[in-house]
Amino acid sequence: MEFLSKIFVDPFVDMVAYPDFFLQVLWEGLVSGILYSLIALGFVLIFRSSRIFNFAQGIMVVFAALTLVGLHEMGVPAWVSVALTLVVMFGLAFTIERVVLRPLVGQPDIILFMATIGITLFLIGFGELIFGGETKVMITEQLGIPTGRMRLDVFDGYISLEEKDLTAVAAAGTLVVGLLIFLNKTRMGRAIRALGDDHQAALSVGISLQTIWVLVWFVAGIIALVTGIAWGARANVSFALEIIAYKALPVLMLGGLESISGAIIGGLAIGLLEKLFELYWGQPLLGGNTETWFAYVLALIVLLFRPQGLFGEKIIERV
Amino acid sequence: MNKFVKIAAATAIAMSGATAVMAQDEGLYIPNLSYRTGPFASTGIPLMNGQRDYVAMLNARDGGLNGVHLEFDECETGYSTEKGVECYEATKDQAIVTQPWSTGITLQVLPRTNVDEIPILAPGYGFSAMGDGSVFQWGFNMPSSYWDGASMILNEISGGDLSSLAGQKIAFLHLDHPYGKEPLPFLEAMAEANGFELLPIPVGLSEMQNQASQWLQIRRERPDYVVMWGWGAMNAGAISEAVKTGYPMDQFVGVWWSGHDADLAAVGADGTGYRSISWSAPQPDAPVMAAVREHVFEAGNSLASEEELNSVFYQRGLVISMILTEGIAAAQDHFGSATIDAAQLRWGLENVNITDERLAELGMSGMVAPFATSCSDHTGHSGGWMLRWDGDSFEVDSDHLSPDSETIRALEVSAAAEYAAANAPWPTASCE
Repeated sequence: MEFLSKIFVDPFVDMVAYPDFFLQVLWEGLVSGILYSLIALGFVLIFRSSRIFNFAQGIMVVFAALTLVGLHEMGVPAWVSVALTLVVMFGLAFTIERVVLRPLVGQPDIILFMATIGITLFLIGFGELIFGGETKVMITEQLGIPTGRMRLDVFDGYISLEEKDLTAVAAAGTLVVGLLIFLNKTRMGRAIRALGDDHQAALSVGISLQTIWVLVWFVAGIIALVTGIAWGARANVSFALEIIAYKALPVLMLGGLESISGAIIGGLAIGLLEKLFELYWGQPLLGGNTETWFAYVLALIVLLFRPQGLFGEKIIERV
Repeated sequence: MNKFVKIAAATAIAMSGATAVMAQDEGLYIPNLSYRTGPFASTGIPLMNGQRDYVAMLNARDGGLNGVHLEFDECETGYSTEKGVECYEATKDQAIVTQPWSTGITLQVLPRTNVDEIPILAPGYGFSAMGDGSVFQWGFNMPSSYWDGASMILNEISGGDLSSLAGQKIAFLHLDHPYGKEPLPFLEAMAEANGFELLPIPVGLSEMQNQASQWLQIRRERPDYVVMWGWGAMNAGAISEAVKTGYPMDQFVGVWWSGHDADLAAVGADGTGYRSISWSAPQPDAPVMAAVREHVFEAGNSLASEEELNSVFYQRGLVISMILTEGIAAAQDHFGSATIDAAQLRWGLENVNITDERLAELGMSGMVAPFATSCSDHTGHSGGWMLRWDGDSFEVDSDHLSPDSETIRALEVSAAAEYAAANAPWPTASCE
């Protein structure tokens, strides 16, 4: 009986008894969730347009952040570094399309997936060659990102908010809205969606596969840069940032690989639920560190009922 | 030498392990299972650079050790246990020692070294029970084990009286990895014996940079102290969260691998007061530093940067190589031969005697406390110092601290016997 109480009663009593703490947990979950969504968006964009699961998205985050910081270390002003980093990410997108993807057109999906693993390994080596493996400090203040803290007194307690987290949430939100407008309201955006729906049909109406691939990899590069700045401001820039990308995998399983809204809602859901579970059930009952597996278990449960994810398209390949 | 060339050289060195083994035909081959890549590269690089530069200095200044060239080589593991075992297998044929550089790799390789008869040198890491030399004949973790580190931290925060911790709560924030779990048996025994509450808080690899949950737990539980066993990106993540949570920095203490200058650089002045126990201490004016600068750094043969030279980790790397070369020198002297094999080095490592006088001769006074190893004691239990972050660098903040060797010895013997029984038949030695 006591055990059941710990599962079904105590956590909720705790939430009501310490509402300030509960709100803090929700806030941390929201911040994590929106950052997970950002990474997942990079995967989804590329998958939608090319059916390629881009294993290199994580290292693109590291590469973009390292390029930004590395350029600034060379004396380039912060915002000029941002512009130059975007140029580098465009160059990367162009090179990947020309050197890796174009020769593999028509090959099975698994070959293209393996190619992105190759891109990952190349970027790890190339990044370390150019920037070294040492930890670098993100140029947060130079970019004008506020670094202070706010303490809100609520419910006889307090919530602590980092201004850089608020900025990250605002920037991620703006990026997501911008992406949705781009994909739904612009000609290029519709072309990306058309390519995702039907390659042959899209090609037959004159949509250039090469142009769209460069574009989506570049947009994924922009997302990688924003993600790198947001995560780098929280915990420095190093190759360890690549690990963060693994957090996007359950988001994709949950939200579906083709759905922009799935990536956003999936990221937010996992961010919030994994924090709530860890604080109210994981730590008291299981010794903590449930975040390493919770999201995967949640995604697996969803897959049992919806194999295409919550927002993925149901594709029937065989009857 | 510009940075690009240095990094290219480092990569070439790391990738050329197998080639180097083939090419090496004379001298003493001392491979290092290094990690200059991967999520822990930022902490590995200065350590590896320090190790490499000390050996390079001896080769350049003295022509090696007692006339024999030291063939220092690196095999890149990326801190991956699987790759570490591969590196061990690739280098063992000609190696006189293996330096596994991860507790996970150490635990995997430990049983093999009995068969291959190669000493493992794991200074300040690995399995703490390796201190019992009668059971772990080929394992060495001098000058201090993780249980030593935990003991010194408890001694320091309790003012030397562990009973004063009764009723208090100590959070143990640790990487969820064999390394992070290693001090748990000692801390659990101390908590039971002294009546304080131990609150283990594991941090997974994917949570290293986002420890919001762990620090929310700390906010909720309000521990009197937080003791950290962090590594790589986990350190900066934890200290950033501590600042955000408003946890008092003077109640936050890390082990020696959580005292890396670059990790604290991100939080800067906000991290002032954070402390790290350390068995080594940086001494920028030590004569050995002048020798390294003259013979390696200024000669363009170092992979380190100028600002790295005075860091805690770079100078600890120098000390680690010194411990190895002192073991080699002891064996050379005992066996009357400049060229020694792995079994002879095992004897040498069992007879390392680092005194104040010897440290002065080496130009390393104050960089490590005196210690000696023996057949039965493979740890040496040198003790160490508390380093304190002053907002800009780590400074020594205590007199010399000693671990509770008596208690630790009993635990070592017990854990070693348990390990031997679980891995029977396990060869043991008599150290009478």
